[in-house]
Amino acid sequence: MFFAQLKNELWKLFGKKRTYIGFGAFVLAQAVMLLMFKYTHWQSRLEQLLAQNGYLAADYISALTVALVMLWPQIALLMPLYVTLVGGDMVAKEVEDGTLRMILSRPISRLRLLLVKWLAGVVFAAVLVLALGVIALGFARLYFPWTGMFVFPQPNSTFGLFPPDQGLVLYIFSHLFMVVNAVTLLSLAFMFSCFNMKPAAATILALSFLFVNVVIQHIPFFEEYQNWFITHHLECWYWVFQQPVQWPQILQSVLTLLAASATAFLIGAMGFQVRDIKS
Amino acid sequence: MMISLQQVQKKFGAQIAVDDLTLVVPRGEIFGLLGHNGAGKSTAIGMMLGQVWPTRGEVKVCGFDVTIQRTRALQQVGAIFETPAFYDYLSGRRNLEILSHYTAPTSPERIRQVVDWVGLTGREQSAVKTYSHGMRARLAIAQALLPAPELLIFDEPGSGLDPEGIAEMRQTIARLHRELGLTILLSSHLLGEVEQLCTRIAVLNHGRKVFEGQIADIKAARGRVLLKTPDFGTAVALLRERGIITGAVDGKSVVLHEGRTTAEAARILVEANIPVEGIWLREQTLEDFYLDLVKAAAPAADRN
Repeated sequence: MFFAQLKNELWKLFGKKRTYIGFGAFVLAQAVMLLMFKYTHWQSRLEQLLAQNGYLAADYISALTVALVMLWPQIALLMPLYVTLVGGDMVAKEVEDGTLRMILSRPISRLRLLLVKWLAGVVFAAVLVLALGVIALGFARLYFPWTGMFVFPQPNSTFGLFPPDQGLVLYIFSHLFMVVNAVTLLSLAFMFSCFNMKPAAATILALSFLFVNVVIQHIPFFEEYQNWFITHHLECWYWVFQQPVQWPQILQSVLTLLAASATAFLIGAMGFQVRDIKS
Repeated sequence: MMISLQQVQKKFGAQIAVDDLTLVVPRGEIFGLLGHNGAGKSTAIGMMLGQVWPTRGEVKVCGFDVTIQRTRALQQVGAIFETPAFYDYLSGRRNLEILSHYTAPTSPERIRQVVDWVGLTGREQSAVKTYSHGMRARLAIAQALLPAPELLIFDEPGSGLDPEGIAEMRQTIARLHRELGLTILLSSHLLGEVEQLCTRIAVLNHGRKVFEGQIADIKAARGRVLLKTPDFGTAVALLRERGIITGAVDGKSVVLHEGRTTAEAARILVEANIPVEGIWLREQTLEDFYLDLVKAAAPAADRN
C-alpha cells in the first residue's frame, strides 16, 4: 500500500505539465551557459589562466570542466527557486485546489500522507539533480573533448585539476551531495506548505529563509559561526573538488542538511496534524 | 448508529462555528442537514471526517471516535463535496486509482464496476479537465463508492449543477440508498431535494441545532389554510374575531386555531356574505417549515 501511495504521488508530480516546463527551463539555461562559454571571452580567459600556470588549455577545457561551469547558475539560482516551488506546492496547492479534502475524507493518517508526499518530493529532487548532471555533461560533450577537468578555485584554496576518470568520479559525488541540497531546500518549502498558507507564500518564505541565511553568513562578524548557517552547508557539493578532499567536513555538512530536512519535515507534520482542513 | 455527535463544539479563535451539537444518524437513513451559509454544516461534516478537530465533545463514525481512531472510523465512509476537486490533468481512471489507494488496494475490476455504475464507461480514460460538471459529479460519486462504503456523506452536492444535473444527482442518491442500502448524510441548501430524499432532518442555525425530526412529521404538522376570497382583509378580521384563526400569512393564507376546521371557517364567511372562491388546507412544505424556524431562531441568535 505504501508503495502504491508513493507511486500515486509520483504520478501527480510527474503528470503535471509544469514539471516538464521546469525541466525545460533548466535545459535551456544549460544551453545558454554552454553557448556563452563557447562564444564569449569566457573560454579564452580560462585558456589564459591555464597557460599562465603552465598548463595546456587543450588538456583541461573539456566536457567535464564546461559541464561544471554550466551547473553553477542553476545551483545558485534556478534549483532553489524550482525546488522550493515544487516543495511549496506539495501540500498547500492540494489544500487550495480542494483535493486534500478529498484525500482526507479517506482513512489515511495525516503523518503517512505527508511522508509519502515528502518521499515523492525526495525522488523528484533526486531525478531533477541527476538528470541535470547527465544533460549538462551530454551537452558539453557535444562541443568539448573528454580530457582533464578544471575546477575554479574555492575560498582558501587553489583551482583544481583532475584527470578525466577522477574528474568524473568527483562530478558524480558532487551530484549526490547536490541531491541532499535539493532535498533540504524542498523540505524547507514543504514545511511551510504544511501550514495554513498559499503555495506561493510557502515558496517565498523558504527562499526568504535562504536569502537571510546568505546575507548573515557573509557578514564578517559571523565568519566564525559558519556552521550555524544552512547555506554554508549547501556548499558541500563543491568541496569534493578540494584537494585533498575534506571528507569529515563534507560528511558533517551532509548530516547537518539531512537533520535539517528531518526537522523541517517534523515541524511541518506537527503543524499539519493540528490544523483544520476546511473548504 | 452510523454517526453520533455528542455535545460537540468547534471554535475558530473566538468565533463559535458549532455549539453544543448533538446529532445521531441511524443506519439506513437518508439524513438531511440544513442551515444557512455559515450555519456550521460543513464544519460539522469536517469533524465527522476528521478534517476539523472539535474543541469539545465526542464525534463517532461507524462506532469509532474520529479524533482517536480516525482511520478505523473512515474505513467504510465515502464523501462527496460541493465542488468535487480532482487532478484535472490526469484521467478519470487514474484519479480513481489515486484516491482509492488512500483507503485500500482496489482491483481494476472494482474500478470498472463502479465506473459502470455511475455511467462513466467510455470516458474514464479521458483527462478530467475535459469532463462536464455533471461528469465530475459522477466521478465524485465513483471515488466515494470505491471502498464499498456503508456511509456516504454529501456536502452540498447540487451546488453548481443545472436542473438536469440536480435531478440526476437526486436520482443517484435515491439509487444509492435503494440499491446499495447505504446510510446517507446530505447537507444541502436545496430544500426541495432534501424534502424528496430525506427521512429525517436536522436544522442548524448559527452553529446550534434548532430542530431535529422526521420529514413526515413536518409535513403532517398543522399547516396553513389557503383562502381565496375577493375581500381577504375582511375575511381575516371576521375569522379572527370568531376565534377560528390565529392570523394571516403572506396575504393569502390563514393559520387555524387548534381544533378549528376549514369547514367552520367557510360556513362563517358564507353566512357573513363574504364570497369564498376556495379554501383548502395546504400541506406544510419543508421550505415553509425551515423559513419559519429560521425566522423564529433569528431573534435568539441576534441576542447572542
